Amino acid sequence: MDNQIVINENIESPNDPESERLKTELLTINMGPQHPATHGVLRVEIQTDSEIVVKATPHLGYLHRCFEKHAESVDYRGVIPFVDRMDYLAAMNMELGYSIAVEKMLGTEVPIRAEYIRVICSELQRIASHLMYFGTYAIDLGAFTPFLYAFQEREFILRIFEEISGARLLYNYFWIGGVWNDMTSDQLTRISNFLDKMDGELDKYHNLVGLNKIFIERTANVGVLDEDLAYSYGATGPVLRGSGVDWDLRKKRPYSIYDKFDFDVIVGKGLQGKLGDCWDRYYVRMMEMKESIKIIRQALEGIEDGPVMGKVPKIIKLPEGEIYLRTECPRGELGYHIISDGGKTPYRLKVKSSCFTHTSMLPDLAPGQMIADFVATIGSIDIVLGEVDR
Amino acid sequence: MHADQDVVTQDHHEELTLKKYFNNIWVAVRSLIKGLKITSKYIYSEPTVSIEYPEVREVLPENSRSRLFNDAENCISCLQCATACPVDCIYISANKRDKEAPKIKTKDGTPIRLDLTQYTIDTALCCYCGLCTTVCPTQCLTHTTDYEYATYTLGQMKFDYLDPEIRRWRDRIVK
Repeated sequence: MDNQIVINENIESPNDPESERLKTELLTINMGPQHPATHGVLRVEIQTDSEIVVKATPHLGYLHRCFEKHAESVDYRGVIPFVDRMDYLAAMNMELGYSIAVEKMLGTEVPIRAEYIRVICSELQRIASHLMYFGTYAIDLGAFTPFLYAFQEREFILRIFEEISGARLLYNYFWIGGVWNDMTSDQLTRISNFLDKMDGELDKYHNLVGLNKIFIERTANVGVLDEDLAYSYGATGPVLRGSGVDWDLRKKRPYSIYDKFDFDVIVGKGLQGKLGDCWDRYYVRMMEMKESIKIIRQALEGIEDGPVMGKVPKIIKLPEGEIYLRTECPRGELGYHIISDGGKTPYRLKVKSSCFTHTSMLPDLAPGQMIADFVATIGSIDIVLGEVDR
Repeated sequence: MHADQDVVTQDHHEELTLKKYFNNIWVAVRSLIKGLKITSKYIYSEPTVSIEYPEVREVLPENSRSRLFNDAENCISCLQCATACPVDCIYISANKRDKEAPKIKTKDGTPIRLDLTQYTIDTALCCYCGLCTTVCPTQCLTHTTDYEYATYTLGQMKFDYLDPEIRRWRDRIVK
């Protein structure tokens, strides 16, 4: 079958006045910023030829809050609440990178119990974030029920976080030198019971959505991102792993105490279509939740008693110098570049966000897709606009 | 204008044989039944999880961070909360206490050397990060679990904690 569509075929001839009236042109549509399928305030200007996207241009900046400049005027402890607000669906992971970066510069030892709590929290957060992806992605593709199932499980995680930190989304829980509160043994048992339940639920969700024929038809062979393209754009996280690249910072460049845990890196295999399509990215995220469960189980076994806060000076002043530290967040690699001039506030704080790089792939992925497939592509790279715009 | 612009669609059509056609139908029906089984289980055997908010109110965990409350009698006007606040939403002013005035102490025995003349928190600016409550030396500034205080204007979100109205409200909330 001829799979090429020639746009604007020469139906017009200069001599025919009738064709002058009937000339065709591309239609420009604004998708967003209040479009429910763009996950936040992303505006994509798409040019369409009937229902096929010819060109897509993302426009950013609707959620720009001047985080990097503002961080230069608050002290190192005060930056953490703002760090939360970048990727508000995975705030724990955002805090983890920042606090490790400051601790490394400060030379602070983090107590071992705090390290374990950090791992438990950030893996729970990864599950919560992927569940959110799972729910909203199903909504993008027209199924509403999975969203409610996902939120039911996510609610438990948020409840645990609310008990230990006091907030549901923007925790300010990982502090420089440790964590704010200790976890009680009751909470640890509840997490352990939750994991047992979660293991079965995940299989159920995968059967309900991932192996559904309609879902496969909508996602397999859609938005194919091959390995070269993923590398050339600097894609990270599940998007890169979905293209079949075995790269996970937790495994390859362990930070915190991730080298103590035994888990697998999930890569896309092209099970339902081409390697690197939307279904592969879905598969990577679903299976990654299982790996997170594995990590938390090991952490619950290995957790030791002790203090949760290391020795940190009352007023934090970093020595002169700079650091670049990256961590594996649910959406990809997050890098913090902190430059200090020896003062109470950062001289410069630059954030390398994975969502931003993933958004930049849209113009390359979009051409030739149907509009509905383009929605599926945006959903599958799972961007949070708070992190894109900062 | 776009005459020579070709766009390759991302469809990958394989030849559809009769066997594949029926196989597709079989897979679709099977996955549909599988999904319906899961959903029907939720209809009949799973308990309800939704909370109907205004009628049923969930009790928040004890250290949940909601509206701030300052117990002004125990405040020593040390300004640590205002310094720690990353959004600068706490406004404090205090005068030096007269030497002749009777000496007063807070609940935990810290002498009060300054008279508080203003303690206002703009809750519209507050980001509920909890940094101010952790630095408070006399534990007079706390997060309460009260979350129902929507107001009609932004000005009403400024709470003056020396106001007798709010001090009465304290007995209702503070643990």
